[in-house]
Amino acid sequence: MKIVVCVKEVPDMESKFKIVDNKIDESQIAFKMNDFDQYAVEAALQLKEKHGGEVIIVSSGPERSQKQVRQAFAMGADWGIQITDPGVDEGDNSVVASALCGAIKSIGDVDLVMTGVQAEDDQAGVTCPMIADMLGMPHCTNVVKLEKTGDKELSLNRELEGGLNEQLAIGLPCVLSIQSGINQPRYPTLPGIMKAKKKRLDVKKASDLGVSAVGADGSKTVFIKRFFPVSEHKAEIIEGDPKTAAKKLVEKLKNEAKVL
Amino acid sequence: MARILVIAEQRQGKLSESTLELCKAAKAIAEGLGAAPAAAAFYKDDSIANEVAKYIPEVISVVDAKLENYSSDGFAQAIKAVVDSQDVKGVLIAHSYDGIDLAAKVAMVLGAGIVSNCNKVAVNGGQLVFTRNTYNGKIQEERSVKTDKFVATFEKGAFDKEAPGGAGKVTAVSASIGDIRTKFKGFVETQAGSVDITQAKIIVSGGRGTKEKDKYNDVIVNLAKKLGGEYAASRPVVDAGWTDPARQVGQSGKTVTPALYIACGISGAIQHVAGMKGSQCIVAINKDPEAPIFNIATYGIVGDLFEVIPAMMEALG
Ligand SMILES: Cc1cc2nc3c(=O)[nH]c(=O)nc-3n(C[C@H](O)[C@H](O)[C@H](O)COP(=O)(O)OP(=O)(O)OC[C@H]3O[C@@H](n4cnc5c(N)ncnc54)[C@H](O)[C@@H]3O)c2cc1C
Ligand SMILES: Nc1ncnc2c1ncn2[C@@H]1O[C@H](COP(=O)(O)O)[C@@H](O)[C@H]1O
Repeated sequence: MKIVVCVKEVPDMESKFKIVDNKIDESQIAFKMNDFDQYAVEAALQLKEKHGGEVIIVSSGPERSQKQVRQAFAMGADWGIQITDPGVDEGDNSVVASALCGAIKSIGDVDLVMTGVQAEDDQAGVTCPMIADMLGMPHCTNVVKLEKTGDKELSLNRELEGGLNEQLAIGLPCVLSIQSGINQPRYPTLPGIMKAKKKRLDVKKASDLGVSAVGADGSKTVFIKRFFPVSEHKAEIIEGDPKTAAKKLVEKLKNEAKVL
Repeated sequence: MARILVIAEQRQGKLSESTLELCKAAKAIAEGLGAAPAAAAFYKDDSIANEVAKYIPEVISVVDAKLENYSSDGFAQAIKAVVDSQDVKGVLIAHSYDGIDLAAKVAMVLGAGIVSNCNKVAVNGGQLVFTRNTYNGKIQEERSVKTDKFVATFEKGAFDKEAPGGAGKVTAVSASIGDIRTKFKGFVETQAGSVDITQAKIIVSGGRGTKEKDKYNDVIVNLAKKLGGEYAASRPVVDAGWTDPARQVGQSGKTVTPALYIACGISGAIQHVAGMKGSQCIVAINKDPEAPIFNIATYGIVGDLFEVIPAMMEALG
């Protein structure tokens, strides 16, 4: 099987966020692979181990984000395409999806494409259905179980509300968005990390992939502004060192909230 | 008049609460744009359409045996048929499991821009401005759509539920539903567990900040026992196998409303908050002062849970 996994670099959400000119100030931020994408990489590697083939990583982001692609290589992915193009980064989800799609088409004869359920930074959850439609493939989102049941067929569980799953069958080729918990993503081994450095990584621009609609002009939506949420209901912060704060909290729970 | 069209959502024949919230949203948007609120219902018969008609003045119903269960192909074809035959300006979809699966596909089929996962919308000089959560709820952004039509998904709770009462007009639209490339096989329940945390008066809940299974047990389980309550967890804790899936709180877990919910090392992602925001008193213990959980908590302690929880145990005597 030829499996493509889309991997996105996102900020570590525990970083200190600052907004300068409507942009995130990246100087204080640590970056990592989107959590959901790790599960997608693991799912792809397990399929390859069982049924043979190759796992190809496709990612769009600044040069820095090659680190996340190498991380997927260290887990066991074979090679990758990195789209580094400010025009794509400045575009909306549909621009990014068409660039990813351009890369996937350039690989040719892909059996399966996997994404994460959502990117932790933009929380859009739109990329999987968009890519599928652009490639003319069927899709399924929020996949929590996955098995190859035939030469051209997968059996899936799609997560639904409150612990319910839908069981379904889908033909290959298709596009899936992978939900956390489907597996336990492996940690790269030391030999894996060494090998990852030498694996093939093609760096492309949108125009190399036949994508011309980029940036704000190529987007269908318009970014207006970014801001910290103002909560009408902010918690009463209990100050003091851990001992003092804990003691005050217990008193408040007993005497003020009367829940203990 | 151009319509703002809600896509009705059902599971096993039951209309979702999110659909009622979208009816409220459609009315607000329609009023701001001088458009008309409407809904579309896709099902094996007219029952869902008739149910939605209690909440909105016009319902367009596409009836086909292939639409009994949701599928992106079936629903996208039905929506295309509705949009091709009626004047539709925008499509509103719940940011739910089916909604996430459907919305971006619909946007592609209609050639429309999509703003997903919104929690607010305003009309500003005839232009819709959507507000949405980003960065796990730490930062919000505003976005609008450039294309003639738009698709938007709204998170649960973004609007109040519309009250029933009306008797909207139901119009049938015929659509020939062709190939459905995902074959529905059935439903399975996956979280049936031995414990029912929804009955607990006190819940101590641990998140990824508890670091590892032994530490989760050490702090969260012990504090819960000391308080005579139940212990629970956010999704990453369950995903990692530190505790039982029956103890997961949130959109894909349990909804709980205890008198006291203590969230330890939980950031407060919307999908977690969806399952516990109805608690009477919420305590958040988190080392990040900007964690969104502090926006919904009653009391907060900014600090290391591995210091604060032992101190609480001591204070409890
Ligand atoms: C479709 C869908 C459904 C989902 N359903 C659910 C659901 O049902 N339930 C659910 O919980 N999530 C759900 N999620 C996942 C959700 O988006 C978040 O990823 C998840 O809730 C984050 O869990 P967390 O807060 O434990 O971890 P994180 O977001 O990683 O937060 C960990 C927190 O711990 C704090 N911390 C770290 N160390 C310490 C310390 N020593 N002391 C104090 N604080 C510390 C950090 O500051 C941080 O705020 C769902 C996601 C999707 C896409
Ligand atoms: N810039 C990107 N590069 C690679 N993959 C991406 C990118 N943006 C989104 N994806 C993929 O699409 C998924 C969903 O992202 P989103 O639709 O933005 O929430 C992610 O988990 C990734 O797998």
